[in-house]
Amino acid sequence: MDEKILLSEDEMPKKWYNIQADMKTPLDPPLHPGTMEPATPDFLKAIFPMELIMQEVSQEKHIKIPEEIRDIYRLWRPSPLYRAFKLEKALKTPAKIFYKWEGVSPPGSHKPNTAVAQAYYNMKEGIERISTETGAGQWGSAISFATSLFDMECTVYMVKISYEQKPYRKILMKEWGADCIASPSNVTQAGRDILAKDPDSTGSLGIAISEAVEDAATHDNTNYSLGSVLNHVVLHQTIIGLEAKKQFASVDEYPDVLYGCVGGGSNFCGAVFPFVEDKLTGKKPDTKVIACEPMACPTLTKGMYAYDFGDTAKMAPIVKMYTLGHDFVPPPIHAGGLRYHGNAPLLCKLVNEGVIGAQAYHQNEVFEAASLFSKTEGFLVAPETAHCVKATIDEALRCKETGEERVIFFNNSGHGHFDLASYDAYHQGKLIDYEYPAELVKQALANLPKVE
Amino acid sequence: MMKKIGFLVNPIAGMGGFVGLKGTDGVVDEAVERGAKPVAPVRAGEALDKVDRSGFMFFCCAGPMGAELLEDGGFDYDIVYEPASRKTTGDDTVNACRVFLENEMDLIFFCGGDGTARDIYSVVGDKIPLLGIPAGVKMYSGVFAVNPRVSAELFNRFIRGELDLTDAEVMDIDEEKYRSNVLDSRLYGIARVPYEKALIQHPKSIFTSESDDECKRRIALFAFEFMHDDSLYIVGAGSTTKAVFDALGLKKTLLGVDAVKKRVVVARDLSEKELLALLDENPKTRIIVSPIGAQGFVFGRGNQQISSRVIRRVGVKNIIILATPSKLAGTETLLVDTGDRELDEELSGYTNIICNYRMGQRKNILSF
Repeated sequence: MDEKILLSEDEMPKKWYNIQADMKTPLDPPLHPGTMEPATPDFLKAIFPMELIMQEVSQEKHIKIPEEIRDIYRLWRPSPLYRAFKLEKALKTPAKIFYKWEGVSPPGSHKPNTAVAQAYYNMKEGIERISTETGAGQWGSAISFATSLFDMECTVYMVKISYEQKPYRKILMKEWGADCIASPSNVTQAGRDILAKDPDSTGSLGIAISEAVEDAATHDNTNYSLGSVLNHVVLHQTIIGLEAKKQFASVDEYPDVLYGCVGGGSNFCGAVFPFVEDKLTGKKPDTKVIACEPMACPTLTKGMYAYDFGDTAKMAPIVKMYTLGHDFVPPPIHAGGLRYHGNAPLLCKLVNEGVIGAQAYHQNEVFEAASLFSKTEGFLVAPETAHCVKATIDEALRCKETGEERVIFFNNSGHGHFDLASYDAYHQGKLIDYEYPAELVKQALANLPKVE
Repeated sequence: MMKKIGFLVNPIAGMGGFVGLKGTDGVVDEAVERGAKPVAPVRAGEALDKVDRSGFMFFCCAGPMGAELLEDGGFDYDIVYEPASRKTTGDDTVNACRVFLENEMDLIFFCGGDGTARDIYSVVGDKIPLLGIPAGVKMYSGVFAVNPRVSAELFNRFIRGELDLTDAEVMDIDEEKYRSNVLDSRLYGIARVPYEKALIQHPKSIFTSESDDECKRRIALFAFEFMHDDSLYIVGAGSTTKAVFDALGLKKTLLGVDAVKKRVVVARDLSEKELLALLDENPKTRIIVSPIGAQGFVFGRGNQQISSRVIRRVGVKNIIILATPSKLAGTETLLVDTGDRELDEELSGYTNIICNYRMGQRKNILSF
């Protein structure tokens, strides 16, 4: 078997997979944050293009990928599926380890799979500018890249502390022509309000979302764009799993267990949903599908399944999901992309129904796994991705004990070349294993008013 | 502005340790007879070597209590206290500190052991910050830097105005008992010390820092939230647990153990016996403690009222440990020494320590 299992550009999938078509019961509807009534498309029209709103609620099983988008995908897609021979050898495991490598995209992660699609649909509906937020810069750089392809303008509100202390992602965004603004800023009312109260505010993702949404809502030529959580974002990412399925078929294999890291859920869902389809339709009922998350922000393993606000500013629709509470500020772990209080509603529903499982990991053990991976497979993965590398290694070692030749798959969602300081901190023993005190928080919340 | 530094050396501190006496309180002659050499002057000299020479003025004691070392080091100094003899005692430390207090020193930079720290604290309390150069082998008080070189670094940064102040426990060790292998150290008081803020990680390797007092407030806010239930909370000594009482609007016995139920104080400054009696009436009880002293003792130093019997009755799973990030950064592991080996084993291992609002840190607890 080759180490890299490749598809030709012609073999790239022509349709995305919409898991809503295969779910036994429909998603609970998103609610309007003001009225608490089910949100109507009109509410979303102010900041999203109609085509994406339709995708959000579509029950069609397959949705065509426009040729213009596939043409751009050709820059890096189909991405390779690797057989991790060198890691297997180091672990002395009988398990077969496969990973899909999404670090080959220009911004270095899975994010442009949806960024390109979102920019395209907005461009088609006459939108000239996108506003969005970014924490550490992964999403910001992906959407900057995508908008540059369609000659659109792009404004990225970047959490101020990252803007000041992590210059490289910012430079990348500017290189792709985006306007990157430190948030809180003087550009929006939301930003000015924060600065009036606290001129030295270092910002937060919640504040940046408020600024980006306000920007979109107050400019006719501008729409807002979100990099994860929403159904249409998950839909665009299914190209990862659809390709992987073809690649597995070409070598006559099928994964017994699948892993991915979860922040908002889009890379994980994109990679596993085409396999979950087989589970839901009864073709492969025993496949194990596991979402990997940090102990410091254990939304799926320790959160409540309830309606909650998607953002701190309470502007986005209220959705039913596993949540640690919209006012939860996750501890400052290095896997910044996994610091989200909620998760994609589609993923949460499947976890709640027991179709998908979840597992949480500590930061040091995760970097230890990533470090072994870089020493065997060579790729230095993002700290987020490192969570499912850890899960994979654990399972491979378990197989070593039992002698099982299980086929393990994980989505290698991106490289960690902007995270070298995190690796350095790990090797210097400076990483703290933050852990969410679930029982005490549950007790603390017991007498608070409910969102529902 | 020139800072005024009270400089004090306890010349006999640390001598007992080298000749197997575990402390020098009341046994100086015996130590000298056994061949003990002065330790503190050497350690203090090591620190002075690394001290920057601007921005402050030393006020010191005559002879071996400071002036001789400053003279050797070529420092300017004013002598403000003269000990009666070269054989100095704890009374000399106490008297010198009275002068420091009257003259409103900005910092007392001293070299000695736990006993010296206790004597200084007995006079100045939290009115003057303390910074200790350790002269002994193992120091239990939190006012000492880990070694003379680090003391000097902290001193230089304090002079440059780069450090904040935080709380540190001053321990009272009964050396009489210690020499017969009974370690009886109690929390004596809470001093102010300059400290380096623990670096707090931010996403993607951004490092910044929060002040210790701010972290304490946030820990306390979380405790306030979960303490609404009908459990009895036994709350140990220290400034972090005091912050919890502050958040509840209650008054804490700083050095003692209090009990709270439904956010109201049930009893104050409880002894072991009183705690056991309370447990009879309250089947649902939890213990809230914060690690004490430089080594981070969760039990066994400073919270002795919460004895092994009390802990067993409450149950290991009902213990909630609070500590600020800088406290946790200062010690690799936490320790327990309840005197009950089996219980210590049960208490050992990785434990989630509450270190901020709705946030914990995994830390290893070892039995002493």
